[in-house]
Formats: sequence, C-alpha cells, structure tokens
Amino acid sequence: MIQIRNLHKSFGSLEVLKGIDLSLDKGKVLVIIGPSGSGKTTLLRCLNLLETPNAGSLSLGSSQLAFDGGRKPRKEEVLKLRQNTGMVFQSYNLFPHKTALENVMEAQIVVQKRGKDEARKRSLELLAKVGLSDKADVYPHQLSGGQQQRVGIARALATDPEVMLFDEPTSALDPELVGEVLKVMKELAAEGMTMVVVTHEMKFAAEAADTVVLMDGGVIIEQGPPRQVLNNPSGERAAQFLNLLTEKEL
Amino acid sequence: MDDRKIQILIDSFWPMLKAGLQFTIPLALISFVLGLVLAIVVALVRIWKVPVLNQIAGFYVWVIRGTPLLVQLFIIFFGLPTIGIEFDPFLAAVIAFTLNMGAYNSEIVRAAIQSISSGQWEAAYSLGMTRGQALRRIVLPQAARVSVPPLSNSFISLVKDTSLAYTVTVVEMFQVSRQIVATNYEPLLMYCEVAVIYLMFCTVLNALQNVMEKRLERFSTR
Repeated sequence: MIQIRNLHKSFGSLEVLKGIDLSLDKGKVLVIIGPSGSGKTTLLRCLNLLETPNAGSLSLGSSQLAFDGGRKPRKEEVLKLRQNTGMVFQSYNLFPHKTALENVMEAQIVVQKRGKDEARKRSLELLAKVGLSDKADVYPHQLSGGQQQRVGIARALATDPEVMLFDEPTSALDPELVGEVLKVMKELAAEGMTMVVVTHEMKFAAEAADTVVLMDGGVIIEQGPPRQVLNNPSGERAAQFLNLLTEKEL
Repeated sequence: MDDRKIQILIDSFWPMLKAGLQFTIPLALISFVLGLVLAIVVALVRIWKVPVLNQIAGFYVWVIRGTPLLVQLFIIFFGLPTIGIEFDPFLAAVIAFTLNMGAYNSEIVRAAIQSISSGQWEAAYSLGMTRGQALRRIVLPQAARVSVPPLSNSFISLVKDTSLAYTVTVVEMFQVSRQIVATNYEPLLMYCEVAVIYLMFCTVLNALQNVMEKRLERFSTR
C-alpha cells in the first residue's frame, strides 16, 4: 500500500528527514515513535503532501510520486493523494463554525460532490461508529477533547480513504480521555484499515502495531514487530529512548 | 425656542432625511460592498504574495492610506476630466470611497484571515480541498466572525465621510442641509439637525452590528 524510497526533507538548511525507506502492506498498522525533533511528524506529513519532500519517492495506493531534483507534484496528483488519505491531528483542527455532523459532511459535499442526503447518512453512520450519535448537532467547543478527536477520526474517514494518518492523536488529551480515542483506533485497525500512527502511547504500539519504527535525528534506527523493537532494541540509542519513555510512565 | 424655529426644524427634517435615504445610504452601501470585494482580493494577493500583484497592492494601500480622502475625491472628479476621463458626481464619489474602503479594509481582512490557525487550512487540505475551497468554506466564514467589529467601524466612518461628496456636487444629506441654511440663515439649528440624522443612521448600524455578532456567536472560535 505504501512504499517510501530514500525520502529527504529539509527546511532551509535544516535537514529533517535524511533518507527514509519504508513500506507498509494493506491492512497493516505502522506506529512511528521517537524523541521530539526526530522527524516523525514531518514523515507523516510527507505522506499526504502537507510537506513536499525534496528527494526520494513515495507510492501510496495508486499514486506514484518522485521528488528527485526538487520535482514538485502536480496539483491533481496532490488532491488525488489527499483524497486517498485521511489525517487526524494532534490539536483536532475541527472546523469550529460547523457542527460535528457538518464537520463530517463537509468534504463529502465539497470534495466528493455527494448529495446532501447521502453525505448526511454516511456521516451519521460514522458518528455512530465513533460513539457520538447523540452529539451530531453540537459545535466542537461544546465537546470534550476526546469527543472532538473522535469527530476528527469520523471526518477523516468520511472520504473513504485507503490509508489513515494519525499525528499524535492523543497527545493533547487529558489522561482519562486517551482511552476512548485509542479504543476507536484499535477498532479501525481490527477492521483492516491501513494506518500510520505517530504516538507516544507505548501500550497502543505494543497491542495494535504490526510494525514499529523508531526514528532519531531524521533516520530510522529501529524497525520491526513491536515485541522486537520495544523489548529488545539492538542499538544503544534506541534502548536509551525506550528507557526514558518507560521511566516517564512509571 | 420659539415657534418659528420649531417649524423650521420640522419643515427641514424630511428633505434632509430624504437626501440621506436617497444618496448618503446608497453611496455608503455601494462603496462598502464594492470596497469589501476589493479588500478581500487585495488581502489574498498580499497573504499569498502573488508576484507583481503583491507589489501593486502594496503600492495601492500605501498611496490611498497616505493621502487625504478629500484630495482623492478632487483628483477623480476635477482632475481626471482634464485628461479626458469624466465621471458623473455620484460615480466619482463611489469610485473614491470604494478605493478608500478597499485599502483600509484590506488590512482588516488580512489580519482576520491570518488570525485563523494554519491547522484549519491543513485540515481542509488533508480532506482533499483545493485552496479556493478551503478559503471559501473554512477560512473566510471564520475570518468574517473576527472582522465584523472592525468592519462595522469602517462602515460607520464611511457613512459620515460621505458628507465630503457635497464638494463634488453630489446632493447628499449634508449638501441639502447647506442649501436649507442658505435660505433660512439658521446654521446652528440646521447643522445640529443634520448631525442628529447622521447619529440616527449610525445608531441603527450599531444595532445591526450587534445582531450580526450575535448571529455569528453560535460557535466560538477557540
């Protein structure tokens, strides 16, 4: 489903991604962990071209993009890729002037040109799926963080993407609200959704991931099944980082 | 106050109000709407740093904000005819006020659009929206909420500034009050009366602003 080859990204003179190779099969869950500044969020944002890589190539679903020589993808290629991915943001980024239902309907009407009735029906299904049927007509500021993030997931699912991208979806939440969001994500994973998740939730990584990638300094330093990466990391830097995380959790 | 003065006040009220409804309000309304369209275009050109247009827009805002409105009116109505460009008085006034509103309001619109967090754009893009769709559906509605108070300010200023149009022979409300003074020699009374009518107009606008803010308040931006 996803193939990344030698992906590079710099902001000015700061090189954030220094050659990333990664692949992910359909229906699998990839969890990216790493210290802040390691490039994990940038990598995720390259997958739907919120950031344009400077070199390398990306294939996702039926999109094939090469960025070598500073080549920029065409507008239609960008839109096609984005319609094929859904993104969930750390700070939710719900549209505050629209109700929960309208948030989920928006892209279906504007981007996919679905009829209002069809979009409404699909949106209500999705809100039911994330357990928020009773909040359809409520504005985002009236919802808790956990509820807002679940609307965010429903909104991202509304365009029927093949891949879901999660950018630290629980980092802005109060601890007692993290569980409800992770539960929805685990259900999605169990249904066979292809997911790329940037997170600090080690428990989620251990339980839901098929592959865990540990990044540091713009490169991948560990990659493999969760048990191997989380419990028996081969490199010293990886062991250090994981120890730090475990200490924090205790 | 004697009966004669009261009678003068009553007699002159309707001619003044009529000129206000016929010229002052339409002049302000048309200029404001056209100026707002211009302001949005200028704001976007500057936010997106569109090559060439960005420089032109910057120059335009600089010139309009840096020169008196009265001088601009005179250039358009008295100056341009000498090089063969002629407008009738009302149109000349609309052009001057529109250019003025466009320049001042572009800064309001620019600040309002830039106050919307980049996360809103990104969320729209991540759903596959184009820049135009994100602007129209997501960003502008939120920016509108932010800009209602300063734009109302602008509009209220404009309603009062339309009195300058008398200098280019538009028979708007202030000009009518001047004409009445010329016949009854009651400048204090007449100018106070026309001031009260301006005050009435602006009071209505204030109330409209409150209604609009209430309507847009059904969501909070934070």
